[in-house]
Amino acid sequence: MKPVLVWDIPTRLFHWLMAASFLGAWLSSESDQWLSAHAFCGYLLLGLIGFRLIWGFAGGYYARFSSFLHSPLSGLAYVRQMVAGKAKRYIGHNPAGSQAIFLLLILGLAVTVTGIFTLSGEEQQASFGIRLSVSLGRMFKEGHEAVAGLMLLVVVGHIAGVAVESYLHKENLARSMITGLKAASVDEPISRPYRLVSLILALAVVAFGIWWFFYALHQPIEKALGLQEGAISKPNVAFVGEKLADNARWREECGSCHIAFHPNLLPERSWRKLMAGQEHHFGADLGLDAPTNQALLTFLVTNAAERSNREAAFKINRSLKPEATPLRITETPYWIKKHREIPEADWRLPSVKSRANCGACHQDAEAGTFEDGAMQMPR
Amino acid sequence: MKKTGIISAIALSAIFTFSAPLMAAENTILESYRAAARQENPAFKDFSSTRGQAFHTAKSGDLSCASCHTENIKAHGKHATTGKDILPLAPSANPDRFADAAKVEKWFKRNCNDVLKRACTAQEKGDFIAYTLSVK
Ligand code: HEC
Ligand code: HEC
Ligand code: HEC
Repeated sequence: MKPVLVWDIPTRLFHWLMAASFLGAWLSSESDQWLSAHAFCGYLLLGLIGFRLIWGFAGGYYARFSSFLHSPLSGLAYVRQMVAGKAKRYIGHNPAGSQAIFLLLILGLAVTVTGIFTLSGEEQQASFGIRLSVSLGRMFKEGHEAVAGLMLLVVVGHIAGVAVESYLHKENLARSMITGLKAASVDEPISRPYRLVSLILALAVVAFGIWWFFYALHQPIEKALGLQEGAISKPNVAFVGEKLADNARWREECGSCHIAFHPNLLPERSWRKLMAGQEHHFGADLGLDAPTNQALLTFLVTNAAERSNREAAFKINRSLKPEATPLRITETPYWIKKHREIPEADWRLPSVKSRANCGACHQDAEAGTFEDGAMQMPR
Repeated sequence: MKKTGIISAIALSAIFTFSAPLMAAENTILESYRAAARQENPAFKDFSSTRGQAFHTAKSGDLSCASCHTENIKAHGKHATTGKDILPLAPSANPDRFADAAKVEKWFKRNCNDVLKRACTAQEKGDFIAYTLSVK
């Protein structure tokens, strides 16, 4: 018996990167602020699994699926032997461990795919050009959470199994997954390091990270690095959504006293009433001439809440009683519900002043997207 | 002697023909308020940037022009009700200001109504513009 190379470098890289992205996804799942990081972990996980599926056929001897194809029954039997303290030692994956690996790959696929559909439904982040309705997105979200919970169970089982087996066979299996080495007799098959593949894998992951956080999020590099004034106080990278309908005249006329509230935040009947009463606009006389008024109304009505597939639009509209015609977004039940936990003192902050000052907390208020990830409470 | 006289005459007239339209363009809006002020008040003399500055900070009720545009008109302002950022009012800090007569008139109408509860006179508007142009 002497130490031989069992786990090739790509397999080890894959293993720890998958563990890291899974952990990262869990840690970033609680707060909407971290949605961009959460989605990054998800896409990374999906990419890693894709690589592993190929590597299961093309990789080193112990990385190939054919070397650890055990039946679920033999896996159960192995667990029983482990409990009895007399499980056989395997150089590669043992039957129980291999079940965990196949399960984790399948669950990982399921969790990322449901995650992508949740994003495309709930947040209307068109992923790979797929866009779902908000209600279908909700269903995917429930599935996503259930699969993630199941995956956590398997991960816990996997770690427990590694601990028990390490103890039984007096070898540190976790360390083997770092060094790649395990003690084996000379006649066992040996793996190769595959340095080039490892380098390519590592570079691909780094490049994806850079692309995601610098470019995909439309974040100028200086800002992401904190070189620009004001950038440091906004550490989270906003999750920029799909671009909404825009109109230069509307921005000019409706975006100078307050941010231009996107038409999808109120239903058509509200916009009609608001524009009909433009001489008494919350204490101001807008004094718009008839053609301007008509042009603005047309833009507002064509993009009103009931004609939008955005989550906020859908929910604002759904929360309204049919007979209600609010003139304020801040008076719609959905808005009130979403903001009821904000303490009164926060509304009175000099940087907020008014409930209608959406931009004080939502970095993407001007764009009208109101992504979860772009929410940043002022301090 | 004669030669230099001719050359300087040509140079001078060149300076005039090129700079005159530029100077006029900078002030067309102010000039139209000057014409309106003469009509409003036959005794009208000229606009005064000092009066404009006093007008800018004078409170009427609890609002003044400075409530939204701040006392330093080269700095960003902040809407008194909504908290929205407002770009600087001084053309030296924001060249887009006082470039579009309809826009200027629209905002005078709104803001004078907000602050003074009445329309501003041409004299007040002209003083105000003279003030913003004087801030370098
Ligand atoms: C002259 C300034 C001014 C202009 C121009 C203006 N508004 Fe307003 N608007 C206000 C003020 C002041 C409020 C009340 C804000 C507050 O309560 O904080 C308001 C509030 C609103 C609200 C309600 C916000 C809430 O509380 O949910 C909507 C909607 C709105 N405006 C739409 C428009 C539209 C559409 C236009 C363009 C046609 C427009 N506004 C142009 C001054 C203006
Ligand atoms: C004082 C800060 C603040 C202001 C001002 C503010 N919001 Fe919010 N908004 C929040 C917070 C906090 C949440 C809750 C985020 C969550 O539930 O994760 C939120 C949630 C939302 C959501 C739901 C986002 C989602 O997908 O869960 C929408 C839509 C929204 N705000 C719209 C607006 C609009 C429109 C305005 C202006 C009329 C506005 N907000 C003003 C702090 C603010
Ligand atoms: C309630 C807030 C508020 C007050 C008070 C206010 N303004 Fe304004 N003012 C604005 C806003 C908003 C704009 C448009 C902002 C923009 O174009 O960026 C504006 C624009 C203007 C402009 C247009 C300049 C240009 O060419 O773009 C003039 C002129 C002006 N204000 C003059 C005044 C005067 C004079 C007073 C005092 C009588 C005053 N404002 C008080 C909010 C205010």
